[in-house]
Amino acid sequence: MKTVTFLACVTFGSTAFGWTDHFTFENVTTPAGIDPQVGAMDRMPDGRLAVAFHRGEVMFYNPADNSWKLFASGLQEPLGMLAEQDGSILVMQRAELTRLKDTDGDGSADEYETVFDDFGMSGNYHEFNYGPARDAEGNLYIVLGIASNGASMAREIRGEFSEIGQVDFKGMTTRETWGKNSNAAGRMYARVKWRGWVLKLSPDGKTMEPYASGFRSPNGIGFDAKGRLLITDNQGDWRPTSPLYDVRKDGFYGHPASLVWKKGWNGGDPRLMDVAKLDAMQTPAAGFFPQGELANSPTWPVVIPKGMFTEGMAGQTVIGEMNQPNLVRVLDDEVDGVFQTALVPMFDGSPLGIGNNRIIFGSDGDMYVGKTALSWAGSKGITRIKWNGKPFLSLDKIKALPEGFVLRFSQPLDATTLKTLSVKKHTYDYHQAYGAPKKDEKPLAIAGAKLSKDSMTVTLDVGALEEKYLHLIDMTGLLSKEGDKILGAKAWYNVVKAPN
Amino acid sequence: MKPIFFIFAAVLMEVSAAPDGKQLFTMNCSACHLLDQMVVGPSLVEIRGLYEGKPDDFLKWSIAPQKKRPGAIDMPSMVHVGEEGLRVIYEHIMEVSKGAVEKKQEKGDPYAASPTQAVRPQVMRIFMPDASPASIAVALDDLNGLCWDAGSSRLRYAWTGGFIAGFSYWQGNGNGLAEILGPVRYTEQASPFGADTAMKFLGYKLKGGLPVFRYTAGARMVTESYSPVAEGMGFVRSFSVATPDAVVLDFPAQSGVAVTADKGKLEGGKLTLTPAEAAAFTLTYILK
Repeated sequence: MKTVTFLACVTFGSTAFGWTDHFTFENVTTPAGIDPQVGAMDRMPDGRLAVAFHRGEVMFYNPADNSWKLFASGLQEPLGMLAEQDGSILVMQRAELTRLKDTDGDGSADEYETVFDDFGMSGNYHEFNYGPARDAEGNLYIVLGIASNGASMAREIRGEFSEIGQVDFKGMTTRETWGKNSNAAGRMYARVKWRGWVLKLSPDGKTMEPYASGFRSPNGIGFDAKGRLLITDNQGDWRPTSPLYDVRKDGFYGHPASLVWKKGWNGGDPRLMDVAKLDAMQTPAAGFFPQGELANSPTWPVVIPKGMFTEGMAGQTVIGEMNQPNLVRVLDDEVDGVFQTALVPMFDGSPLGIGNNRIIFGSDGDMYVGKTALSWAGSKGITRIKWNGKPFLSLDKIKALPEGFVLRFSQPLDATTLKTLSVKKHTYDYHQAYGAPKKDEKPLAIAGAKLSKDSMTVTLDVGALEEKYLHLIDMTGLLSKEGDKILGAKAWYNVVKAPN
Repeated sequence: MKPIFFIFAAVLMEVSAAPDGKQLFTMNCSACHLLDQMVVGPSLVEIRGLYEGKPDDFLKWSIAPQKKRPGAIDMPSMVHVGEEGLRVIYEHIMEVSKGAVEKKQEKGDPYAASPTQAVRPQVMRIFMPDASPASIAVALDDLNGLCWDAGSSRLRYAWTGGFIAGFSYWQGNGNGLAEILGPVRYTEQASPFGADTAMKFLGYKLKGGLPVFRYTAGARMVTESYSPVAEGMGFVRSFSVATPDAVVLDFPAQSGVAVTADKGKLEGGKLTLTPAEAAAFTLTYILK
């Protein structure tokens, strides 16, 4: 049988088509002397790109002539940005959400208006802030990362300290004795206000509503084309692998540290709670990025605009990734009103590289990927990705069925390659330890793979789907009728709700 | 026949899959360990130096990592990978690091001469010593620097010499403080509006690159702007306070600091102002 498998690989793996036949990848020259780690990007109404760098510069890049112009400087770790219609820019930095305004019209910001800063800062390096995302009514959503026990808190903090925890204020803020306190503090902690929470702000930033809790290191927040608030988070404690969430009001999204700030919380140190109890409280992830295979540290979600990339991808969400040399495309599905997704690699095996922190689409139709590392594995600079307009084979849609999946492709398939499809599934344990291995991984027998009349839709019979399992559909051997390989050959479908 | 073939092939591939060191490394280690330079954890070159020929020691460390490097982040236990997995990761590390050498790290700040760092005056948010995490460093000119705290809307201290060296903060993920390049010559213990007054920071404007901070102190709307003295060490601090009543502000005397006010009466560290005077007044600090 080994020989058969081997032959199959040779037969179906030898046709070499890749992303570079359809996309070009080039580096944008970043401004001289500036640390080119990109924390945030957006497109200005006039088509220029606004880019925020690690050391706090906000600069405009004009793709038409490759020029750079300084707009603002001196911000601290900007990690989110929203360009406004009047030319001002909202930027999320460590201490606050800031509006940068050019009131005298000289082309650079002269007003740094504090829009919202009513949250705590412990001085711990890991308290990164993300957002804002804006909903249809103009409300703003930000999400606050929590502290890491890689360091203590600072002696002086901003805001209230929560007494809930194994280590008191003195222990939490004394660097010299941190070595003996760090374990009891928890791998990640949230002893100052609203860390680990999504906060909803009124359009003017004056009213805040604690919106959802349970976040760890949520380096990606944005609305999808259907108005769902998507947030990614990073694998770690209480995160078996990196999750994608569809965030709703009052939801709890798994990392317990933030619960100390829940109104009326009396459950004690949430880290020491019964895991089954916590598990029952949490909203399951809409998608999982399997660690080491698809993404270790997913980043910002953005919507692929119509007219950019292929027609089938228009309106889909694409997400960046720090550790794996690819982006991730989100295929959405809904079962009984429950949003769940299949995640598919994009630009895997291309020259894209790692560190893919922020993505925007230019008015020129190109995709710009801003990179960073911040001492973790990553990169720097900006990669400009251009599609040459040539169509290619990709998985465009997926839907869970009572007995399997229906897959819609961008091009007609070669029916003889359907037999190369394989499906397996696994699940994860939810626990305090850092990450979790795949659990109960098993292949699924394919009882049938039916091709539609137009050869673009495959109905895959794998029997009833199992909830809480991540299903990998491997399409590596699929070929189009023209003999082209599929780009983005794996899809990880997270079954939250199985159709019946 | 076809469905049967599928099942067989799928099952077979599952069974024959031995743990892959490269894949396990990518899944569990690559976020923190690069081939030839330290990021969060040591490079594979360094790990090779530590554990070559000692797979059992590697295993022991990976299952129960200790704290070894001051200032570095503790490695989480890799017990979930299992002994077999850790051994193939070990083999993978030994294989890829063979012949590799540690990349020379640039010494000092490669962007110290960046146009945005070198410009004066300058307003820069960064973690500062002896202030809250919401602090702002201000270079008034080449000589005079000060720390404004947006957490409590007040001046914390002023120094002279160079500005700041921020590399210990910027070189990584922010786990460090900026270093002040020169002696602190003036320190303020509380807001002039009193330690118990509720303060709300509203942001700042730049005038010729110099900051005009805006905040409320209780019910009063305040702006506080800074500029360097015409020559030497010191700063000029201009306020506008919207107040219906006379106001008494605290500017306690400090040795080595000469403070003068252009309006009101400054006596015993207290400045008394009428509402008209409070609308625009300036204090000049000469530092020694």
